[in-house]
Amino acid sequence: MDAPSQREVMAELGVKPRARWLGRLPGWAQLFVTNRKGMFGLAILAVFVLLAALAPLITPYDPYRRAGKPHVQPGVEHFLGTTRQGKDNFSQLLEGGRASLTVGFVAGLSATLIGLAVGISAAYFGGKTDEVLTFFVNVSLVLPALPLIIVLASFIEEASPTVIGLVLALTGWGWSARTIRTQTLALKTREFVLAAELMGESKWRIIVMEILPNMSSFVVGGFVLATIYGILAEAALEFIGLGSPNSVTWGTMLYWAMRAQALQTGAWYEIWPPAIAIMLTGAALVMVNFAVDEITNPQLAATRRVGPIRRFLKRRKRSADFV
Amino acid sequence: MAFLLRRLGFYFAALFVALTLNFLIPRLMPGDPATRILLALRGKLKEDQIEAVRKTYGFHGSLWDQYVEYLWRLAHGDFGVSTVNFPEPTSSLLFYSAGWTLFLVGTATVISFGIGIAMGIWSAWRRGGFFDTVFTPINVMLNAFTPAVVALLLWYAFTMEWAIFPLGRAHDMNLTPGFDWETVTSVAWHAVLPVASIVIVSFGAWHLGMRNTMINLLNEDFVILAKAKGLSDRRIRNRYVARNAILPQITSLALSIGYVLGGAFITEVVFNYPGLGKFTLNAIQARDYSFIQAQLVLLTLSVLIANLASDVLNVILDPRLRSQRSV
Repeated sequence: MDAPSQREVMAELGVKPRARWLGRLPGWAQLFVTNRKGMFGLAILAVFVLLAALAPLITPYDPYRRAGKPHVQPGVEHFLGTTRQGKDNFSQLLEGGRASLTVGFVAGLSATLIGLAVGISAAYFGGKTDEVLTFFVNVSLVLPALPLIIVLASFIEEASPTVIGLVLALTGWGWSARTIRTQTLALKTREFVLAAELMGESKWRIIVMEILPNMSSFVVGGFVLATIYGILAEAALEFIGLGSPNSVTWGTMLYWAMRAQALQTGAWYEIWPPAIAIMLTGAALVMVNFAVDEITNPQLAATRRVGPIRRFLKRRKRSADFV
Repeated sequence: MAFLLRRLGFYFAALFVALTLNFLIPRLMPGDPATRILLALRGKLKEDQIEAVRKTYGFHGSLWDQYVEYLWRLAHGDFGVSTVNFPEPTSSLLFYSAGWTLFLVGTATVISFGIGIAMGIWSAWRRGGFFDTVFTPINVMLNAFTPAVVALLLWYAFTMEWAIFPLGRAHDMNLTPGFDWETVTSVAWHAVLPVASIVIVSFGAWHLGMRNTMINLLNEDFVILAKAKGLSDRRIRNRYVARNAILPQITSLALSIGYVLGGAFITEVVFNYPGLGKFTLNAIQARDYSFIQAQLVLLTLSVLIANLASDVLNVILDPRLRSQRSV
């Protein structure tokens, strides 16, 4: 039996040759761009960000003011109907997206930055610094975060989205600090760091120029997870009524929809839009995280090819046992 | 043993930090609980009565005196007096609702662990296959749905649209709870929707964790050896790979059981379930500070104990840790 040519095998496995422009991108970008899940998630996020950024151009109504009669059905006047208080749902959705996405991203980013600073310093400086910092990391991991946030928010009273974001950042940095610390410990003993030390470079320069670039995937992964957590936790806090009821976010929209008994009175258009927006954003971020996971861990990336390879071998009546 | 002792020391320190935070937060915020009561009863109290109220709530004397008294009270299991239901001690409501939460969230945690692990094993074994490519992303996405939406939708669909399940509460209203068939069925029937809404948003994490750990193990030499020996797929999957991959999952199960007492705020609110989450929220709205603080202490204790339990489990399950000197 003739061995099949490479082109035949590629065609049968469904592998396409890579486009030339891909080769010009850096390695990690090639992996991300060719990852279908990651690009899909990124596309959804981009749509949301664009809608939020262009909100005033898209809808003529002020999300904070009455724009019509209460509970107007969706139609030409009001694309997604109006709330119980007669505010335009669509403009609230866009404005809410602004607030929720900003809070989520900022909380995620600050938590990651705190975690990065604490994790790297603990691991790189070692000794007493490490002991003290690790103690605080462990305490922040052990203390139950969401109930603590709820207690804090309750004492703050009517927390604005900014305050909620701040509280979320202050309580959510533990995990990234721990992963970053472990990662730095592993990198610290590598030759290139030793070489930089022998060349007499300053500690901060080594941290920023040598260690940091080598764990960007962990930082990005941690950031995505922290953002998911931030968006969900903000929505949850506002849904149970701990946020400021006057601000417009996806969480407060759900809160008001529940207060107005939107589902029971048939006003589905008051509750579905923020609900779907939160779910879609969460799903999109999960997709991006899948992609980041697959880039960091080649074993996971390989699973995408396992199915086609198994089918390929079966068609050729070979054993697929060791795939 | 030294490892466990060191962990024990750490947990005591962490408990201390938590208690101190718990003590400081209400005192750093404007308007202490005692002042709030005094404002509510303005003009109706005499000087000595005001002092007595302050004393009851532990807002008497210098900050240090208050701190010592606070710790002393906690050490004796005294969670103080409820600010809202005045002479009632906080602990009675606390332990009543803790029971329901333990049942509700505990059941949900165990079920979602079971479902997640089973699906994780299957999708790792047939990685890249139909089940894996379809269900792994879907389950993990479900995990990123907010419980608010899921609970509301379930509630609306199954209690309003098709009135299959009861509207809320833990059991029928005109039922005196006791250990008989009627109570058990009523409680179980009322728990279906709340448990389901927690399970839906939580089993994806177990699925993904189990799948990823297992995939990393599937390429190890011992699996290839087992295949070469001609062992059945089922035996390799369950006894060889899944057994090793489940260790980290079991320790995180121990951890999440510690969080059970955190309650499921949203689920309990939507289904009007008499658990800790709902009563904590009520307490927050009514400014019943002693209840909020007591709940946090209870939760911290249970999380710390669960952490300790997971350390012990780790030492039992993983022989490598038993001889390890440093962690």
